[in-house]
Amino acid sequence: MQDMQTKPNGPVAAAFVAAGIGSLVLGLFVVLNEVSPDINTFLKFDAAYGLGKGVGPLSGKVALGTIAYLGSWVILHLMTRGREVNFSRWFAAALILVFAGFALTFPPIFEFIVDLFPKAA
Amino acid sequence: MEFTERELWTVIHGLVLGTLFLLAFGGGLAGLYSLKAQLLTEEGIAERTPRLLIGSVVMAVVAWLTVWTGTFIVYPWYRAKPPEGLDATVQSDALAAFPRYWLLASEKTAEWHKLGMEWKEHVAWMAPYLATAVAFAVVYYGAQLVRRGEIRRAAIIFFTLAFLAAGVAGLFGAFITKAAAVA
Repeated sequence: MQDMQTKPNGPVAAAFVAAGIGSLVLGLFVVLNEVSPDINTFLKFDAAYGLGKGVGPLSGKVALGTIAYLGSWVILHLMTRGREVNFSRWFAAALILVFAGFALTFPPIFEFIVDLFPKAA
Repeated sequence: MEFTERELWTVIHGLVLGTLFLLAFGGGLAGLYSLKAQLLTEEGIAERTPRLLIGSVVMAVVAWLTVWTGTFIVYPWYRAKPPEGLDATVQSDALAAFPRYWLLASEKTAEWHKLGMEWKEHVAWMAPYLATAVAFAVVYYGAQLVRRGEIRRAAIIFFTLAFLAAGVAGLFGAFITKAAAVA
C-alpha cells in the first residue's frame, strides 16, 4: 500500500524491471552469438555502424542490451507513471531477469546451451 | 618513468574508475542501509540524503564510463589479431602484443580468456544497468526513501548485484592484465 506522503512507486518499479530486461537481452545475445554465424556477423556493429573499432560482436551485444534497457524503461515508465504497483512482484520479476542475464553470460552455462544446438555446417 | 597510451587507458579504466566505483559503492551502500526512520532525526535525514544521492549517481556514471572505456578503448587492443605469419600457437615475445592470442596459445593460460574475459566483457555491462536503476530510485524519492522500506531494500540488493558484476569484471581484469597485459 502506498505511503500517502510519498510519490507512487510505479516509475521505480519500471526502472528496476528495465535493468532486468537489459541484462536478459544482453545474456540472450551472448548465447545467440555463439549459436549462429549469421547472428555473429549481424552483431558486429563496429563494422556495420561504426560503433567502436575492432570491438567485434561485443559491440552489437552491448548496444542491443542497452537499447533494450533504455527502450523498455521508457515504455514501462509511461505505463506505470503516477501508479502505485505491487512492488514486491515487480522486483521479484526484475531479480529473475537479472539472474537469468547473469547466468547466460557465464561461459560454462552459455557453452552448455550452445552445445544443445546443432553445429552450423 | 612514463606510460604508453595503452597503459594510461588501462589505468584509467581499471584503477581510477574502479577505485571511484568502489568508493561510491561503499558510500552509497552505507547511506542506503542506514536510511531508516528509527535511526535518524529529520535533520539527520536531510543531512544524509544529498550524500546518498551523490554516491548513487556517481556509482552509476562511473559504471557507464568504466564499461565504455573497457569495451571501446581497451578491449580492441586486447583482441587485436596478430599479422599473417606470426605463429599464434607459441607464446613468443612478438605474440605478447596480442593478449587474446597469447593467452590462447597455451593450455595453462587459455582459461583466462575462455572463462575470465568471456565472462568479464559481458557481465560488466549489467553493473551500469543496475546502478542506474538505483540512482533513479534515489533521485526520484530523495528523502522520501526513508518511508519506502521495500524500495530501499530493493535498492540495496541491486546496488550489491551491480557491485558483484563489476567485481567479477574487475577481478578477472586484474588477473588477465597480470597474465597478459595490454601494453
